[in-house]
Amino acid sequence: MRPPSSVIAGNSISIGTTGSAAATFYLIGPASSIKRSVDLGKDIPIVANNIQSAGNYVAIVCASSCTSSEFFVSAAQPSSLTLLVHPSRAPVAQKDVISAVALNFDEFHNLAMTPAGVDFHLSAQGVPPISRAVESKGGISWFRMSSGKSAGPLQVVASIDGVSTRRVVEEVASDPCNLRIKGQRTAKSISVETDPIRDCAGNPVPDGTVVTFTARDGDQVSTVDAPVKKDVARAEIDAKGPVTISAASGVVMGNELRMSGQ
Amino acid sequence: MINNRHYRRIKRSFQVAIAAALFSFVATIHAADSVPQVTLDVAKAGPRAVESLTARSVVRDYKLAWMNLSHALESNSTVPLSGLFDGTAKAWLSSAVDDQQRTGLTRRYLNQSHRLEAVFYAPEGDVMELHDTAEYDLQISDGSKTIHNEHATVHYVVLMTPGADRWVVRQLQAVPNF
Repeated sequence: MRPPSSVIAGNSISIGTTGSAAATFYLIGPASSIKRSVDLGKDIPIVANNIQSAGNYVAIVCASSCTSSEFFVSAAQPSSLTLLVHPSRAPVAQKDVISAVALNFDEFHNLAMTPAGVDFHLSAQGVPPISRAVESKGGISWFRMSSGKSAGPLQVVASIDGVSTRRVVEEVASDPCNLRIKGQRTAKSISVETDPIRDCAGNPVPDGTVVTFTARDGDQVSTVDAPVKKDVARAEIDAKGPVTISAASGVVMGNELRMSGQ
Repeated sequence: MINNRHYRRIKRSFQVAIAAALFSFVATIHAADSVPQVTLDVAKAGPRAVESLTARSVVRDYKLAWMNLSHALESNSTVPLSGLFDGTAKAWLSSAVDDQQRTGLTRRYLNQSHRLEAVFYAPEGDVMELHDTAEYDLQISDGSKTIHNEHATVHYVVLMTPGADRWVVRQLQAVPNF
């Protein structure tokens, strides 16, 4: 038997044979097994869809005895990219917080391992787009990058030979940078609220970020957790005597507010 | 009479002992044949370092995966392919089993040893590429007739991803060399 020396997935081939007897031909591949009657001395045609999976194939011919020959099928050109991007939400201004991994596959889901240039294109509103070319190794290319300074969607597009795949990372505000509170007495309680809360790059922190207000009246301490809504967190604190109120969110402490008694 | 009965009892005990020993011997041989030897080198893995616990899990699950692969292709059943194979690897192996059922072929992978080398571990740990230099005795049969028997050394590129409690083989692709 004379199988071709190199075979690309999804291409039909023919295997030459010698002899003149009737025989049984077998082709054992990673995803298939073929068995058919053949006449030795004639070429054995193998149709394309029997050799779509990359890997090693064993061709066997049995007449009075069995002989075998092996060949490899390689992946075809990349026609799809699997793109893994993490995280889906990234805080702004964080070093090397975003990573992207692209895997090259051909149309038959074979990992295309021939080195190829993969272009990563990153774009976000208000900043110039960034492109980075990475050569794949073993079918894989990857890169890591820092998040931008503005909150908003960051598009990550990986492309190879006209094929592209897109993912979106939502860049969100980092931890609050400054926390300032103000308050006033009402008839029954003290109403406190923060100034608009932003991270150190000036991005408003997301709604739902929790601010903890703490009121101290001598030895008595009471706390209220309040979520940020439209940049501001608000709380009502029941206290009739003089109290000192402070606020904290994450690791950031705000100013202290001293309120006199009613 | 008593001597004769005593003799028969001893003879039966001896036969049972021989049978048990033979069964144990056969079971040992079968176990040696079917349990692959797997080693893993993580020295070149990157960009993420492979923790020792992760390395142990990969070795455990890759070994089990090959046991199941071997069992599936020997018994022509797709049942062993559930759990440790997914994606393309599972689709290919299932297709191979289906074809074997249709053609009456079976494959046996005996005396397996796998030298694994982790060559890529994604920054977030969600995919690992490994190179496996596998050695085994491959036996292909058509019904009861063995049509191919060889000691093979095959290079596989393997993609594994972590599941809830195991590492799953998603791609198992033989290449001529690394």
